[in-house]
Amino acid sequence: MTAALKALISAALAGLLGLDSVQAGQFLLSRPAFVGPLLGWLNGCPVEGAKLGILLELLYIDFIPVGGVVPPNGTAAAAVGVLAHSAGGLAPSLAFFFGLAAGVLYAPLEYRLRAARSGLNALVEAQVAAGDFRLGRWLARAMLVENLALSGFALAGAGLAALVASVPWTARLYPGTDFAYSLMPWLGLSGLYFRFRTQVYKKG
Amino acid sequence: MLLSMFARSFLLQAGWNYERFQNLGFAFSLQPALEKAYPDKEARKAALLRHLEIFNTQPYMASFVLGNVASMEEKAAAEGGGEEALKRLPGVKQALASSFASIGDRIFWGRLKPMTTQICLLVWAACGFYGWLFTGMDAAPSAGVLLAGPLAGIAVYSVFSVYLRWTGLKAGYECGGCANCALDAANWPRLIRLLSAAGFAMSLAIVLLAFGLLAGFNCGACRPSDLALKLGLPLAVLALHRVMRALGRSVFFTAGLVLAVSVLVFSLLKMEPFKLYL
Repeated sequence: MTAALKALISAALAGLLGLDSVQAGQFLLSRPAFVGPLLGWLNGCPVEGAKLGILLELLYIDFIPVGGVVPPNGTAAAAVGVLAHSAGGLAPSLAFFFGLAAGVLYAPLEYRLRAARSGLNALVEAQVAAGDFRLGRWLARAMLVENLALSGFALAGAGLAALVASVPWTARLYPGTDFAYSLMPWLGLSGLYFRFRTQVYKKG
Repeated sequence: MLLSMFARSFLLQAGWNYERFQNLGFAFSLQPALEKAYPDKEARKAALLRHLEIFNTQPYMASFVLGNVASMEEKAAAEGGGEEALKRLPGVKQALASSFASIGDRIFWGRLKPMTTQICLLVWAACGFYGWLFTGMDAAPSAGVLLAGPLAGIAVYSVFSVYLRWTGLKAGYECGGCANCALDAANWPRLIRLLSAAGFAMSLAIVLLAFGLLAGFNCGACRPSDLALKLGLPLAVLALHRVMRALGRSVFFTAGLVLAVSVLVFSLLKMEPFKLYL
């Protein structure tokens, strides 16, 4: 299977798994810790996928999706991170930071998609008022749009990563990115530790 | 009917929007109950339009509200329109949505979700995979091991969330009609405290394990001064994260700061790369 085809399948799978984060199921199949090794396995780099995934997961744990807040998207981060390495050709360390940024950049897009769905309310009400009670197709349409957006974003991220990898001076960054990448587990563990410590030792 | 509502409740947020939040998914999930309660098409239309109004709660806890509302609609239909019951319905729905959102956010987003990551790390550590800690370490665990970690966390989380969705729907349906319906279905404060304690214990175990592994892999392989530096650097990262949090900066800011300094020192100023391990 060519790398391009693998990237295409991976992006489509990421789009599908991404639905789990908000729209369908919410079994946590969209979390980077699962998406990373899965896409890594599909693209022939399961270990790097697992490392990227779990480190992204540890950093993304800091964000909680309460009250309609759109946090940075972990699925987009993991998909772009893995594809930036496997299809784009970036070193895992730079691919990780690439994915981290991608997850943050996807949030405004997700926000716009959610805002655009507000327009469905009037359409659905009109349909129900006309005696047609089929709501499922609107939900299916909303999920399809979200799926396509995330898949397209992951593919665009992989393409951009390939472009960055082709620039000659990119390799000069690797000593620095490798070192920063080696510190990320500690940053993530710190977040995990203090999250629960704060809950157990609440002030007052 | 309850089974159909249960299955549909997994799509509660499929049409999430900023105008009315989960209204489309809620109405879609409630449809089986409305079909049963209102055989007449006009009455069913009015009921469906009622539930296309604003609704928002924690998605796993929505089933408590869903069961309650289904029961209230059935009772209203049995009373031939039940104006009194329908008048109370929006208030009860809103009150329950707010209460269960608060409980659900604490249980699922605040505790169980990060615990799935902890379970993943512990499973990987038990299987001898330490790539999550030593990014430069060459390891070749099977894909099965790599997927077992996250899947173990997902399994624990999903068993709990699916169980709560189902029991919530049943409890809400059985006691439907009041604004405190099923709020006593579990000892929520105790559950939250237990999860916090378990999460903290696992966090502590993982951090101690990480430092233990770091010391263990480097002990004897480098000079004591190097070992001190290798143990001190992660401690500095932990302290940096703590300080940044206190300053209101997100973890991404700290990650960006670490990246910028690292690139400056090791890529641009070309200092000899320093490896934390081995």
